[in-house]
Amino acid sequence: MNPGPAAVSVEAVVKHFGPIRALDGVSLTVPTGQIYGLLGPNGAGKTTLIRSLVGLIAAETGTVTVLGRRMPDREILAAVGYMPQSPALYADLSVEENVRFFASVHGLDREAGARGATEALELVDLAARRHSVVATLSGGMRQRVSLACAVVHRPRLLLLDEPTVGVDPQLRAELWERFARMSGEGTTIIVSSHVMDEAERCQRLGLVRFGRMLAEGSAADLRRRAGVERLEDAFLALSAGGS
Amino acid sequence: MSVRRAGAIALRILQQFRHDRRTLVLVFGAPIIILGLFYFLTGGGSSLPAIDVVNRDRGPLGAIVGAGLESSTQVTARQTSAARAASDLSSDTIAAYIVFPGDFSAAVTASDVIAPQVHLEGTEPGLTQPVLLALDQSITRAARQLDQTGGARVPVLEPSVDYLHGGPTLDTLDYFGAAFIGLVVFLLVFVVTIIAFLRERSQGTLERLMASPLRRADIVVGYMAGFMVVAAVQSVEVVVFTLYVLHVHNQGDLAAIVLITLLMTLVAVNLGVLLSMFATTEFQAVQFIPLAIVPQVLLSGIIFPVSSEPVWLQVLSKLLPLTYGVDGLRDVMLKGNGLTSGAVLLDIGVVAAFAVALVVAATATLRRRVS
Repeated sequence: MNPGPAAVSVEAVVKHFGPIRALDGVSLTVPTGQIYGLLGPNGAGKTTLIRSLVGLIAAETGTVTVLGRRMPDREILAAVGYMPQSPALYADLSVEENVRFFASVHGLDREAGARGATEALELVDLAARRHSVVATLSGGMRQRVSLACAVVHRPRLLLLDEPTVGVDPQLRAELWERFARMSGEGTTIIVSSHVMDEAERCQRLGLVRFGRMLAEGSAADLRRRAGVERLEDAFLALSAGGS
Repeated sequence: MSVRRAGAIALRILQQFRHDRRTLVLVFGAPIIILGLFYFLTGGGSSLPAIDVVNRDRGPLGAIVGAGLESSTQVTARQTSAARAASDLSSDTIAAYIVFPGDFSAAVTASDVIAPQVHLEGTEPGLTQPVLLALDQSITRAARQLDQTGGARVPVLEPSVDYLHGGPTLDTLDYFGAAFIGLVVFLLVFVVTIIAFLRERSQGTLERLMASPLRRADIVVGYMAGFMVVAAVQSVEVVVFTLYVLHVHNQGDLAAIVLITLLMTLVAVNLGVLLSMFATTEFQAVQFIPLAIVPQVLLSGIIFPVSSEPVWLQVLSKLLPLTYGVDGLRDVMLKGNGLTSGAVLLDIGVVAAFAVALVVAATATLRRRVS
């Protein structure tokens, strides 16, 4: 595969929260159209890294470049979709009202917003529940509404922080097929996860721990490097090496 | 009941308090602040209502009662001319002036009726009481003094009282109605906004908004606009209900009342947004409500006239937006002033300035709370 120009480039970023070094000089380059998986245990810095990509966290040192713009850059966020770890939605609004709100926030007009919402809700298989109030939905459904809100404006870069938590295996497989299709259409996707079968579906993986990038490569690369057969074992072996 | 299990719950509650410093400060600090304010407002070091005394009495009594008023512990009295007293009253620098007419002493000797003329400002019931009390005490003392020296009998006090504004036909509701319009909209809008904005953060949607092309000002102004629609309807509802259902006395311009009320809601929305920045949970946000509301209720002149507060509290009162809202509403409803009155325009201007300052402050502190 021939990687295009970088959609995301992170260089030697450091960020503290009080005494905790959440990002410790992490670097990362993701070419356009790639599905990049961030792996690592809880508290490794995956979420902090994703939040720095949307300007929610300012790097103390180092640089973050997104779609050619040095962050923080508010304008470029119109081309970025961000799905936080917990489904951040307005529980008292309907599914469609939520999705269309985030369409407007990203600058879509009424018509484009309505079209985007229809497509996004089909993507997450919730078109039939569009008029349901979010408070009445199950956890997995909320997760899907949250994903719809992140893709409604057809972002060029999609950041997904553990998108499939609470989603059943069948729907998870369907969502990953859709991620692959979006990637095929040129969308760059960065997804954090600690589910190994999801990691297998990423074109490239980054193993993050203690705010540092311990290892990078395809799933096959990582298994080979660790000399093991299962990605999970590779993950454990490479993590141990970094501590 | 199990002592051990109940004890576990009690212990957990104390542990939670220990982790929540802000709550501790509120639980132990707020009573001191509120009771302290009550102390200063109800006497401890408070300022006395100022009155002028005009003595035209050709006999001795006017001078004796006048001197009694000057040494009164209820009011601060000063002897002056009738013209000066009238202008002091209309410029709101005194609460009342008392005139002892030329035949003041003679009338007492002739008819045993003591009839000073009391001119009250009339819009602040809290100031009327001490004036009448001081007069009564001074006359009683003067009568006793005369009794010892000249043998006069104790006269009947029949002051002739008139009001610059309002008057004896106004009841308590009329005095407080004007102030309460401002208070009710301010309180309700503030409570709704502080909770709504905090929810935006606790449910994670604020983070999502901050990760979008929205600017901070878009968020604050958007909040303001959305709540203003509801607040505007509420303001009109409150004004109509107060004036046409409760028939609270109104002498002034309806447009001015609605305008001041709307500006108060604008201040309340932005104060809600701003203070929600300093709360991390809804529990803490709820605690801001008494902290933001009780001192304002006590210090804004709704119950205790600002002019009767100790000087240092008057300074504090003048830093609170509700003070100007209440003053403006009273100016309009009780004094019959409108949008052409300088005093009303000043109040409106100050409330509007508070609203603008709070928008700026809320916008500036928005970033702080996301990361």
